[in-house]
Amino acid sequence: MSFITVFRTFAVLLAIFAISMTGTPTKSFAKSKFVFANSSPYDTLDPHVIYDVGRVASRLNMYDGLMRWLDNPPKLTPWLAESYDISSDGKKYTFKLRKGSTFHDGSPVEAKDVVYSIERILALKKGAFSLFSKSLDPGSTKAPDAHTVVFNLKKPSSIFLATVPAIHVVNSDLLKSKEVNGDWGGVWLSKNEAGSGSFELTRYDPAIGFQAKRYANHFMGWGDKYLDEIEFRTVKEINSRVLGLMNGDFHGTDGYLPQDQVKRLAADDNMNVMEEESMRIFYSIIHNGRKPFDDVNLRKALSYAFDYDSFINNILSGSVARNPVPVPNNIWGNPKDEKGYTFDLEKAKEYLAKVKQPIPEITIGALTGYGQTEQAAALLQNGLSKIGVKSKIVSEPWSVASKKMRDEQQMYDLLWLWRSTYYADPNNWIGEMYACDQVGARNNSWYCDPEVDKLLMEARVEPDQAKRAANYKKAAKMVTDDAGGIFVYNTKWFGPYNKKVKGVRFSPIGNAQEMRWVHME
Amino acid sequence: MRTLVLVINRLLWFVPTLVGLMIITFTISHIIPADPVAFFAGENATNEQIEELRARYGFDKPLHIQLINYLIGVTQGDLGVSIYTQRPISEDLLSRLPATMELTFMAVLLSTVVGIPLGVIAAVYRNTMFDHVLRVITVSGLAIASFWLAILFQLLFAMELQITPLQGRIDGWGPEVITGFFLIDSIIAGDLDSFTNAAAHLVLPTLTLAFPAMATIMRFTRAGVLDAINSNYVLYEQAMGFPSRIIIWKYVLRNALIGTVTQIGLVFGILIAGTVVVEAVYDWPGLGLYAVEAILNSDYNAIMGFTLITGAFFIIINLIVDIIQGVIDPRN
Repeated sequence: MSFITVFRTFAVLLAIFAISMTGTPTKSFAKSKFVFANSSPYDTLDPHVIYDVGRVASRLNMYDGLMRWLDNPPKLTPWLAESYDISSDGKKYTFKLRKGSTFHDGSPVEAKDVVYSIERILALKKGAFSLFSKSLDPGSTKAPDAHTVVFNLKKPSSIFLATVPAIHVVNSDLLKSKEVNGDWGGVWLSKNEAGSGSFELTRYDPAIGFQAKRYANHFMGWGDKYLDEIEFRTVKEINSRVLGLMNGDFHGTDGYLPQDQVKRLAADDNMNVMEEESMRIFYSIIHNGRKPFDDVNLRKALSYAFDYDSFINNILSGSVARNPVPVPNNIWGNPKDEKGYTFDLEKAKEYLAKVKQPIPEITIGALTGYGQTEQAAALLQNGLSKIGVKSKIVSEPWSVASKKMRDEQQMYDLLWLWRSTYYADPNNWIGEMYACDQVGARNNSWYCDPEVDKLLMEARVEPDQAKRAANYKKAAKMVTDDAGGIFVYNTKWFGPYNKKVKGVRFSPIGNAQEMRWVHME
Repeated sequence: MRTLVLVINRLLWFVPTLVGLMIITFTISHIIPADPVAFFAGENATNEQIEELRARYGFDKPLHIQLINYLIGVTQGDLGVSIYTQRPISEDLLSRLPATMELTFMAVLLSTVVGIPLGVIAAVYRNTMFDHVLRVITVSGLAIASFWLAILFQLLFAMELQITPLQGRIDGWGPEVITGFFLIDSIIAGDLDSFTNAAAHLVLPTLTLAFPAMATIMRFTRAGVLDAINSNYVLYEQAMGFPSRIIIWKYVLRNALIGTVTQIGLVFGILIAGTVVVEAVYDWPGLGLYAVEAILNSDYNAIMGFTLITGAFFIIINLIVDIIQGVIDPRN
């Protein structure tokens, strides 16, 4: 075969290819199909292995729990449970399951499935395990009958109820049949589902995402308007997600896009951008356990050296809400009257003068790829230079920072980051960020004040929410007065949706990714 | 016989090369002070939980023991389990391999089919306006960053002109998987809609990936043809009255292609690595996107698996290229 022949063949093939690619492919969405572009990959569907906000859609849409967080501010609502009872000593939680709930294979949801689900979480030690490891022993949860579940806690807990929605109930009979080498059906469940949720899995590809159809027999029933099908696809690039929305390829994406992209979408005729104040606070950890940061005067100087207004109004275009304490603005337990710190270099100098110990060059940590943390670090560095304090910025990936945060020696002097909502209780923030028993784990500032700790510990067991709120308010004021960290803002969620999409319900726990109320107009 | 010796020689080096590659990758990935277990367990995890998970995945052992265990596993066909997906790495890689291979093959095909003829034409019409224009194009192809070019293509072809899809591999989920190559699978299934849809989705990623490769091939071909054109045998053939079309495309090109074919082999490897960027922009569900996630998550086994598979492909492709080179070399 001569080269001329070879090239002719290639040319013909190329021509066929070129002809085939002309013209826009038809977008063949069913009338009630919703496509969501998600930044996090759905690399596993196992609801007991993951517990991050980025992949919440698979858990919320295909699984049910005894309770559910709904709306904003989040309300804890009975879901698979129709009622619950808490013993007077706060150690026994009894849930009555509603009758008629079924898994996607048609079998009934029973108490044994709830017991299996919590035992599975405790055995795998992944996902939401940390929420239950200190309160529940394996084998302590009982099912006295098919519709009653009793959680016997090791010690009284007022936050247990708030964490119950994290127990996604799996079909125990199905999973037991899929177990291999005592893996609790892990390999099978990473690619399949065993839930009773509003949608049942129809297709899954870890590289693409998942597709699910409406489960007509879901216990909540369906009104006149609903989605027949949902599809959550992984689209890593922000630009591709935004262009895809504008192009009509997707109907929604996550609500934490950069402001320039939010404005771009808001200006599009086919888009509707919803706005809600979320519960995700942005702050800087200060390493209270390291000298000279154990001196409150230095910490106050740092707090006065940060230009809050410039950061919020100029850099972030006012797209967030000032949140001066370690409890989100929109949850009970937030001290509304606490104003926190302002940018005041004179006061910063004043407090700096009171510091007796020599001040070394300060290491300000930021997270690579999270521009706001780097911007905040630079702004603080600028403020510090004006009061004569040297600092350097170290930006590292989250996989590196998350390791250093747990090591007292390796931890940065300061580190900018967010604290998200895992359960809507002040303990999720101040109760973990500043409790002595969380030092080196969820308390990465090595802050341990006996009085604050006493308030937090009382609040963890006190059943009366009003008394708990008082404790959290007082503790939040004390931590703020101690300048335990630099508290900047509470995030706002800007959910971009195609204008045809109606019925979106936002909750800070699910970020509006539960689709059972959504429909297409 | 010479070819057989070459193949045996290369195969003997195959294993040591891959072992060396794995040792280097293992060392580099572990030098980074990341903790995949703490990262995977999440910010709420207790320290006890992290330590237990670390032991479960063998990360508590000394590095050299981890490396030896990994190499032993590889000899048994076990590339380990991804800490994130909870699935065997081989399963994850195999599910994504066809997407990357389809894209890479198309990019190689396009860059070769376009690059070689343009290189020949540029050489024949050297120092003319045509040659200068091609030079500008090739320099641009080599200089422009792929991610930027990809976004420009998206804006122009998908958003402005609306003649190509924006991203993804196909609308929906594609034809039934037989080979994993959507173009082939849709033909086997007789599904013309899926074929055109998959082909349309291939356009922009292929163009982005092929552009710098095409520039390289074009420059190599041009240089090879110029070298050959000035040879005595070409002068002889011209004196014999052979039509210049025959001389160029039949005799000159065969000599000139020896260097170009070598370059195509290298380009193939570069393109596989290049998919990391292109797949990320176009959300192409292949190995590149998987590698990006693996690196961001410090998923050691996934990083090693990606490196191993791309390294193996690179070696195999270059072996094939060497064989082809031996076949087309007129001196053999």
